[in-house]
Amino acid sequence: MIEILQNLMGGFVIALQPYHLLLVAFGGILGTIVGMLPGLGPATGVAVLIPITFTMGPTAAMITMTGIYYGAMFGGSRSSILINTPGDGAALAATFDGYPMAMKGKAEAALAISAIASFIGGTIAAVLLVLLATPVSRFALKFGPAEYFLLMVAALSMTASMSKGNQLKGFISLIIGLMIATIGIDAQSGIKRFTFGVLELQTGIDFLIVIIGIYALGEVFKSYSSIADGTKKAQKEFGKIWISKEDWKRSKWPILRSAPLGFIIGALPGAGGTMASLMSYNNEKQLSKHPEEFGEGAIEGLAAPESANNAASVGALIPMLTLGIPGSGTTAVMMGALLMLGIQPGPLLFTQHPDIAWPLIASMFIGNIILAIVNIPLAGLLVRVLAIPAKVLYPIVLGLSFVGVYAIAGSIVDFYLLVIFGLAGFLMKKVNVPTAPMILAVIVGNTMEQSFRQAIRISDGDLGIFAGSTLALSLIAITVISILFPIVKDKMMEKKAENAPETV
Amino acid sequence: MKKKLMLMLAFVLLAGMMFTGCGKEEAGSSASAEAAYPSGNLDFIVPGGAGGGWDLTMRTTAKVLADTGLVENAMPITNKSGAGGGVALSYLQTINGDDKTVVVYSPPLLLINLNGSTEFSYKDTTPLARLIADYGAFVVTQDSEYKSINDVMEALKADPKSVKIGGNSSAGSMDHIQFLMMAKAAGVANLDKIDYISFQDGGATAQILGGHVDLLSTGLGDVEALVASGDLRVLAHTADHRVGEGVLAEIPTCIEEGINGTFVNWRGIFGPPGMPEYAVKYWSETLGKMVETPEWDEACTKNGWDKLYLNSDDFASFLDEVNGEYEGVLKDIGMID
Repeated sequence: MIEILQNLMGGFVIALQPYHLLLVAFGGILGTIVGMLPGLGPATGVAVLIPITFTMGPTAAMITMTGIYYGAMFGGSRSSILINTPGDGAALAATFDGYPMAMKGKAEAALAISAIASFIGGTIAAVLLVLLATPVSRFALKFGPAEYFLLMVAALSMTASMSKGNQLKGFISLIIGLMIATIGIDAQSGIKRFTFGVLELQTGIDFLIVIIGIYALGEVFKSYSSIADGTKKAQKEFGKIWISKEDWKRSKWPILRSAPLGFIIGALPGAGGTMASLMSYNNEKQLSKHPEEFGEGAIEGLAAPESANNAASVGALIPMLTLGIPGSGTTAVMMGALLMLGIQPGPLLFTQHPDIAWPLIASMFIGNIILAIVNIPLAGLLVRVLAIPAKVLYPIVLGLSFVGVYAIAGSIVDFYLLVIFGLAGFLMKKVNVPTAPMILAVIVGNTMEQSFRQAIRISDGDLGIFAGSTLALSLIAITVISILFPIVKDKMMEKKAENAPETV
Repeated sequence: MKKKLMLMLAFVLLAGMMFTGCGKEEAGSSASAEAAYPSGNLDFIVPGGAGGGWDLTMRTTAKVLADTGLVENAMPITNKSGAGGGVALSYLQTINGDDKTVVVYSPPLLLINLNGSTEFSYKDTTPLARLIADYGAFVVTQDSEYKSINDVMEALKADPKSVKIGGNSSAGSMDHIQFLMMAKAAGVANLDKIDYISFQDGGATAQILGGHVDLLSTGLGDVEALVASGDLRVLAHTADHRVGEGVLAEIPTCIEEGINGTFVNWRGIFGPPGMPEYAVKYWSETLGKMVETPEWDEACTKNGWDKLYLNSDDFASFLDEVNGEYEGVLKDIGMID
């Protein structure tokens, strides 16, 4: 323990050098910007930086790249809140209550709580990283294909059951998402599925295209009529970017609960921020005393996923730092950059290169503080997006969407897909089919299917593998509880209401 | 209004950053181009994403070429990923005869054609030089029951389902094929019955560490850190000689273990089809000079690469030879007719 603190202090000494401080701020702010722009996520931000990192030392390079990573988590929700378009997958859950808050004139509080929750989530996760990096990485290894499959099932069933009163439509949306996820070369057999001879489809459809299409373009199409008749009013007056005491009271526990959850999900290779934020959202909705407010602008529905996705971005560093395995798309790019600098991340990183590992961890504490300080005034600037008349704002959104999609793979085919998903998003909103289950299915569908088949191949076709470990059984229990809990809770509420009708 | 302007400025700056390195000069090849070759910007293409093996090779090559002064032109690098390199291969077909574009490739260039992912093959490129090699490594956990590669092969001969092989490439691609080539050399029958489990995004390493698969088929360079830490053990690798230093140098080759097979994960530089003769000569020679520099030596040591230069002509015959080998294995497992 003393040793850890000493190492961490040593790390702070290096991370607090002016040059490194400057890089933390630069990485964080660049991350915030790429995070805000639809399509440009942390992975792109880090990739853009690779040529520059050639000229830096490994410590400086790592500090800057991780700054981009969690900076993007701060930024990602800005566009979710203001224009109902998540900057990347991890900011998807921020649209559920963030955008309704903005529509109700509470954009200031929404932006403030998202920065506050991000800061707290990131800081708690950094503490957990210091204390638990090795045990958590060993725990993550217990996840074999069977456990991954069950984890995906848990996440999907939570999201589908979330669309209460509309479960059938929720499942339709889910199934469409799963179908989209089967497009591409099947890794287990090497066979092409649903590619129709289009080369670009062989690697599957990037979920970012689906998100940008459904949200950004879908929103533009949907608002088309209101642009013409001017019913959508631009906000003129803006308040201070801060939250009320009541807001804090409602958000405090969701933020604190979501951070460890996000941290652990983030540490599982391949799970990531999107899943962490959606799971924490569902958690809070089920624990809440007024679940009916979720989706209508409940502040805790924004605070929880914001805390979780920042914590997940810190957790995702664990497999890379302790095992040399990339835990997410972004850390994969980071690892590539590290290799170019001649650093081989792995179990010996902390003993062979303490001069990189500890300053990096220290920089996360500093970076979170800097980002919280930068993001509050920045929000004051950004909130004025709401003052932009729709006929100016939406063309800009449209342009950014296409730029963002092109940045993913530089492919023209993706433009067609973008428009198709935009129309699909518009239609789904028209007939009230929820889009979140579909998006999550697109994100986890491929891993879920592959995990299932990997497990079956390992067990020679024996389904018992899905109940073959304590971890697997716990995941099954979580899934069952997550489906039954809302039903039981409703029944109990009804009973209560029957027994004491006068108090309702 | 001022604030809005600032916001827009930020977007423009960002867009500018994204597109630096993406600009491509029109290929203007005339008779005079030959004398002054190369002039203007060159176009270095990576057929996969940033941070991957191809990316690392291409960026290192560009850096060494610039640092040693062998090439003075700007060498912006573009990532054209998709379809396991197939998208970049299709792109090359659209710039037939161009003299300024080069791209990096490795065995998947042949495999994506053999397994039917793309109609184009290595014959639709111009091989310029083979640069480096990594080798296949067969990895188990420290406490595995398999102590040598022959233990694994014996177990497979007795029951092809008894050892579950994990890897990071999809079925029929590199990690799968390199293991089957060794199994074939070891005399294992029923190659198509062997279970190969494909994991995405580098997840296979976590799966072997967690004991979910029995053997990991991967690149020798990819597991160095975990071998050094004692978490994993490499039973054998597929080079024809001992490779590297330290823990890596202690690993036996398959040949030493009595399995007469090799697999080279080569990486080389290619041009588009119909690249003019002067450009082919230039690149074959320039890259030949590059691999003799101390800067290149240093880069190879740092990345754990084996230097394995071949000039343009020899590289082309090498490709013909290995293409036949890969094809044989894919036929054995029934992935192609």
